[in-house]
Amino acid sequence: MRNRFHRIVRFLGSMRFAIVLLAVLAAACAAASTLTQGQSYAWYAQRYGERTAAFIAALDLDDAFHSPWFIVLSAFLCLDLLLCNLVRVKALIRRTRMFAEPGHLLSLTPECSAWVRQPEKAFPHLNMGIPAQSETDGKSMLSAVRGRAGLWGAWVCHLGILLLILFFSLGQTLEKQYTVYGVLGQSMAVGSTGYIATIDDFRIDKSESGFVEQYTTRFTLRDANGATTAQSAQVSVNHPARLRGMKFFQNSTGWAAKASVTKNGEPLQSQWLCAGEYLEVSDKPGLTVLLSAVYPDYIFVPGAGPKSLSDSPVNPAYLYSVYYNGQLVGMNVLMQSEELTVDEYAVSFSEPSPYTLLQVKQNSFSLFALLGGLITAVGLLLALYVQPVRVWAVSGQDGLWRLFGENRKGGKLFAEAFAKAAEKAQISTPEDGKPNAED
Amino acid sequence: MLKIENTLFTAVMAVYFASMLLYFCFIAFKKDGFARFAVIAQAAGLALHTLALICRGIGAGRLPLTNQYEFATSFAWGLSLVSLVFILRFRFKALGAFAAPVTFLVIGYAAMQSKEVRELMPALRSGWLGLHVSTAIIAYGSFGVCFVLSLIFLLRARVQQGSFLDQHLPDREKLDAISYRASALGLLFLTFTILSGAIWAERAWGSYWSWDPKETWSLVTWIVYAAYLHLRLRRGWQGRAAAVFAVIGFICVMFTYIGVNTLLPGVHSYA
Repeated sequence: MRNRFHRIVRFLGSMRFAIVLLAVLAAACAAASTLTQGQSYAWYAQRYGERTAAFIAALDLDDAFHSPWFIVLSAFLCLDLLLCNLVRVKALIRRTRMFAEPGHLLSLTPECSAWVRQPEKAFPHLNMGIPAQSETDGKSMLSAVRGRAGLWGAWVCHLGILLLILFFSLGQTLEKQYTVYGVLGQSMAVGSTGYIATIDDFRIDKSESGFVEQYTTRFTLRDANGATTAQSAQVSVNHPARLRGMKFFQNSTGWAAKASVTKNGEPLQSQWLCAGEYLEVSDKPGLTVLLSAVYPDYIFVPGAGPKSLSDSPVNPAYLYSVYYNGQLVGMNVLMQSEELTVDEYAVSFSEPSPYTLLQVKQNSFSLFALLGGLITAVGLLLALYVQPVRVWAVSGQDGLWRLFGENRKGGKLFAEAFAKAAEKAQISTPEDGKPNAED
Repeated sequence: MLKIENTLFTAVMAVYFASMLLYFCFIAFKKDGFARFAVIAQAAGLALHTLALICRGIGAGRLPLTNQYEFATSFAWGLSLVSLVFILRFRFKALGAFAAPVTFLVIGYAAMQSKEVRELMPALRSGWLGLHVSTAIIAYGSFGVCFVLSLIFLLRARVQQGSFLDQHLPDREKLDAISYRASALGLLFLTFTILSGAIWAERAWGSYWSWDPKETWSLVTWIVYAAYLHLRLRRGWQGRAAAVFAVIGFICVMFTYIGVNTLLPGVHSYA
């Protein structure tokens, strides 16, 4: 029973299992990237047919990266990394401790060895520094090691990936996300946080050619109950702001207009509408007006439809749709001074203004995920670029020394460097009665 | 400045072409002298290429790393740089005969792209752009060299023993070791690319990772090379199998670079 458990643990933490998982994950990612994600069943059915759409829905391929099977695969990868690290840690500590021990070196039979006369000359040629002298089993010994940290490269890299996946997943699961959007001077609640954000300033910087260079919003955050003092901050693209444990990002912008409703000529309601938003007439349940688009400098191009010549509100027009009890009853473009009349109600739009949209996030794990990423990079650096090398020489007869070198990551390149270093240390000739080169 | 860059770009293409011809002559006429001149020509081409990129940067008023043309010419620069470093570091001039055509193909692809200098959208106006794209250039360049080395490895068995080429190509064991170095360099820089991109994405869009096709394919490429480096540790997976894997890895690199931009729209569509 215990043996079986050990076998299962070894398999789950094995490189073979890791490679299979990596191959499956890579194939899954590649396949999922070719399919547009996050669309409705109807969208897939129209594009690929009913049968394919059913297949996509059954396997959650429309949201592949958050599907149960993808999460299970990632969890297995985490388990593999964890077990692999746990299984190896003891041996790694032992190997690190014994890495430079002369007694241990004597028990090794590395691939690179040569008989030499002046072993101390070989060390600098292998970038080994000054070798330590010792007496072991009655034999004189010279030894030097470098790159011991490289032994831990894969282990550190695995740890980093594990932390990265773990904290990224936790962040994605527990993250709270809100959007705040409005025009200058408008105040709005920041989701369910109990805070209210007021847009103090919104600026669009443009180059001489009119190309947008930056969007900048200045806002003030207040406690809805007035319990804490208000705080102001400025956000722009690539420059988020952190306030009260929340991170604010400049996300997007668009056009908004003030929608006013009158009933029999008397003002009924007035509110800001961003393009894409609905106005529900308070006095008439079921009557809804959608502000589809705002054209600050309106022109109608035959064949192309309504357009805006510039971003200056010199000739504003508003594309709207009217719904009654969910049914579309009208759709047209309304100019600035015009009114849309439905029975005794009249709707008009005015004050076209750009609105700003801020994304607000509360994620306590993002920094830890980043830390995981950095640990991964350090681990890779250690694994790929810090080569654990040991070179030692043991005295033999007739003033000859047996020179040894070990670099498991060096392969043929280290073997060549070793041979050159041995040459500098005066490889013995056949007349010495010993082998004359690497053997 | 952009006119100078245009002239320099044409000169770079001509010099790389000359370098490629010289490498071919080195193999065809079996004379070491051609290889010496080919390396000199490649170094000169690289110097001109660097100058052209600097001119482009000054002319555009920003780092020249933001559209298909700029990335393609920078990719060719990365390939040329990494291959030259490997040629000199491992005294492996014959590598040039295989790497130069790949470099020439990439710079040829650059020549087919629009050279128009466009203004940058706000999200691209970040200090992270330089780190993110320059590490990608070195990563792609290294994977390109790894690909070339793997092809040489696969062809090595067919080279007649004692022939001129046989004398100028390292044995398969050494080729495998050099190929490992190239892929290791590529994987390390690809890791920096992904990390810097994730940090930048968090600052610009509020999320480290959003499974955009470019991100996804960079991850696929990373996984393929990570698997390649793991496989090499297993008996029976060194040598030929590893070389085949490295070739597959480079196909992923090319798809991440060209395929994703043209076939799978996402937040990297401008690149």
